[in-house]
Amino acid sequence: MDNFEVRFSGSGGQGLILSAKFLAAALVAEGFDVAQSQSYEPVSRGGQSRADLVVSRGQAAFPLSTGLDYLLILHGVAAQSSGAVIGAKTLVMVDSELVPDPPKSDFTLLALPFTETARQLGNKRVANMVALSALVARSGMCPLDRIEEVIRTKTPPKFASLNLEAFAAGRELGTP
Amino acid sequence: MSNRMNMQGNQACAMGAIAAGCRFYAGYPITPSSEVAETMARELPKVGGTFIQMEDEIASMAAVVGASMGGAKAMTATSGPGFSLKQENLGYASGAEIPCVIINVMRGGPSTGMPTRPAQGDIMQARWGTHGDHPIIVLAPASVAECYSETIRAFDLTERLRVPVIVLVDEVIGHLVETVDVGALTPPAEVSRKLASGPADGFEPYAVTQDMVPPFPRPGDGYRSHTTGLTHLPSGFPTQNPAKAKAALSRTTDKLLHHADLIESVEASACDDAEIVIATIGISARAAAQAVTDLRASGIRAGLFRPRTLWPFPEAALKAATANARAVLVPEMNQGQLVLEVERLLGLNRVHRLNKIDGEAITPAEIVAKAQEVLA
Amino acid sequence: MTDAPKTDEFEINDYIRLDQMPHFLCPGCGHGIALRALLWAIHELGIDKDKLAVVSGIGCSGRLSAYIDANTFHTTHGRPLAYATGLALARPDLHVIVITGDGDSLAIGGNHLIHACRRNLNLTTMMLNNEIYGMTGGQVSPTTSAERYTTTTPAGNTEPVFDACALAIAAGAGFVGREVTMQVTGLKNLLRDAIAHDGFSFVEVLSDCTEIYGRKNDLGNSPEMILSQKAQMRPEAYRNTVDVPFRPNALKTGILARNARPEYGSAYRAMTAGIREKGK
Repeated sequence: MDNFEVRFSGSGGQGLILSAKFLAAALVAEGFDVAQSQSYEPVSRGGQSRADLVVSRGQAAFPLSTGLDYLLILHGVAAQSSGAVIGAKTLVMVDSELVPDPPKSDFTLLALPFTETARQLGNKRVANMVALSALVARSGMCPLDRIEEVIRTKTPPKFASLNLEAFAAGRELGTP
Repeated sequence: MSNRMNMQGNQACAMGAIAAGCRFYAGYPITPSSEVAETMARELPKVGGTFIQMEDEIASMAAVVGASMGGAKAMTATSGPGFSLKQENLGYASGAEIPCVIINVMRGGPSTGMPTRPAQGDIMQARWGTHGDHPIIVLAPASVAECYSETIRAFDLTERLRVPVIVLVDEVIGHLVETVDVGALTPPAEVSRKLASGPADGFEPYAVTQDMVPPFPRPGDGYRSHTTGLTHLPSGFPTQNPAKAKAALSRTTDKLLHHADLIESVEASACDDAEIVIATIGISARAAAQAVTDLRASGIRAGLFRPRTLWPFPEAALKAATANARAVLVPEMNQGQLVLEVERLLGLNRVHRLNKIDGEAITPAEIVAKAQEVLA
Repeated sequence: MTDAPKTDEFEINDYIRLDQMPHFLCPGCGHGIALRALLWAIHELGIDKDKLAVVSGIGCSGRLSAYIDANTFHTTHGRPLAYATGLALARPDLHVIVITGDGDSLAIGGNHLIHACRRNLNLTTMMLNNEIYGMTGGQVSPTTSAERYTTTTPAGNTEPVFDACALAIAAGAGFVGREVTMQVTGLKNLLRDAIAHDGFSFVEVLSDCTEIYGRKNDLGNSPEMILSQKAQMRPEAYRNTVDVPFRPNALKTGILARNARPEYGSAYRAMTAGIREKGK
């Protein structure tokens, strides 16, 4: 696939922008051009948050999302906010615990225990890495060892092993 | 491929400035431009430059002009409310011909407006924000790569012409992260202002030179000249003599006409056979580019006109690009500013508006729909 | 920071732009005396005119920069300190002196004065306090004395008076002093010490506006105004003291505060040199 759009959405402070950044770095290393944008509310924590990637071969004419191929929803607060940009082609992956009322339509919906998996690893804050890895495993948008490499090189040493455990768990969750 | 990296528009403005030789930054925090200041605070010390967060927006503009009066390449960044506060000292720089670059990342307004939301409401403020007739150059990047390259061009122009240059970015482009190849965007040599040389005796800091840009008397080089915001003679001292005042003011505005070729930069694509030309800047131009592709796929011959140099407005280039067009559509995130200039040049008959003021970017689909409606 | 001190006689014509004479100050205005004292201090310090930068704002005080044979910058109303901050940071090799007035630095530019004092960047401010907006025709200023008539206080001034030196001291200026124009030698010495101080120095000069303020308030001619001004002062020359009342009923003159806080420019440059060293 040469052109596709990905959205990470949820609540501010869940590490969505970091996940998007990691995926963007992996995709650039694969030769894609990536346009990353985010929308946030004028508060530092809480509130709706989202990060979008518009991925293309060569620079995208319009860098903002217009029709998502992949949508990750990590918190119920963002459950209904992407309605205008999702459709039959969209793969929607939601956190089964924090998104009790996911959007429903003719798209593929997967509810997976990102937060619960992260909690079992010892820190629910790595749910973002679990979800990122599950998304990559499920979609095949880039090789898994590429995202693993990005997580290894871009995570501060203190969290590296935890994030890599999150990667392994997420890969397992996402692999069809 | 190794030079390719993901960079944010605001960061690209900062990194472009440093690549252009900027060594002084004064600013004040304001959303959505603060990343420019944060990047400068981190990067300037590494290259021996100076960063200072001043007590307010007015002071940061004044400090930038002060540093440039000392010979430093200097810049500040801000957004709407701060841009308004900077206007008086920006006018001083324009009148006294002190080089400086101002990044203005546009957000919703008026007043505090929607600080985290995009808008393009400063198109006219950038041109006419300070009082009086004054020369000014405004550049309008439409990508992260252009944030980098246009900031470099802003320094080239301000140093070469001694006129303030505004880089007018919208919140979407400022906060957008895109893949750029920085190495490919950096020109081989940076441009610096022409310095006064020769005997100090009888030196006139605002003498009328052939290129209409007086050489800059750097403090410490022995010229001991006077700089003032008062209308001044070639000697630098104030005058109220009508003929001399007129000559002095005319030179600074004529200076830009004289260097129009150096200043002008437009993107005109697919305009030759276009029945509709879409004229706009920034993120709206990115939507327009996609809309042109989509319209052509549906059988409508559309073209894109994008003034990379927004002011002085590229009048002849717009007329040429729209010569064969039945309609000209101006999408912009305000209630109609750029369109006023387009209407002035092309008349009211074939110029159409598409305005959005809800804090969301204009989409390609909206432009396509409007174009179809206009041509129907 | 100073060059070799000069011991030869001070000749004002060596420091002014004779081609800009006659100056535009009114007869009896104290600003000319202050300008002379400033140039005398510069002479005594042996400062190279090529390395001297004078930044002024708007008002009668703002016009003085044009008369000084140096690198001079007549900037915008209230902002000379902000311009000077940029200039002094970009060019630490220059001696930067700001000439400002009571309206320029205490009203429209008050915020810049506070932060210049706090920052303690190496530059000297000479504030000419004539208690009035003279250039615009005589409106009330933050230092206009109680009950005085101005064009905007037709029934007499009811606003409290700002004590500029108390403000500067409270905001942390490294050197603060005050002098009257009658004491030309004392003023010269005060300005000399202020310029030589490594950090931000602030000198308030009690000037007089005979033509507008004096005339409107029956304060007499210039010598009478200057004498009455001097009579109100309590010389505290060369004593370190911060005992300044907010209401300056009896204003102290001389050096009112002096401290050895780190100079901002050197501190910033040391910090950035450290960053570059680490990056090697």
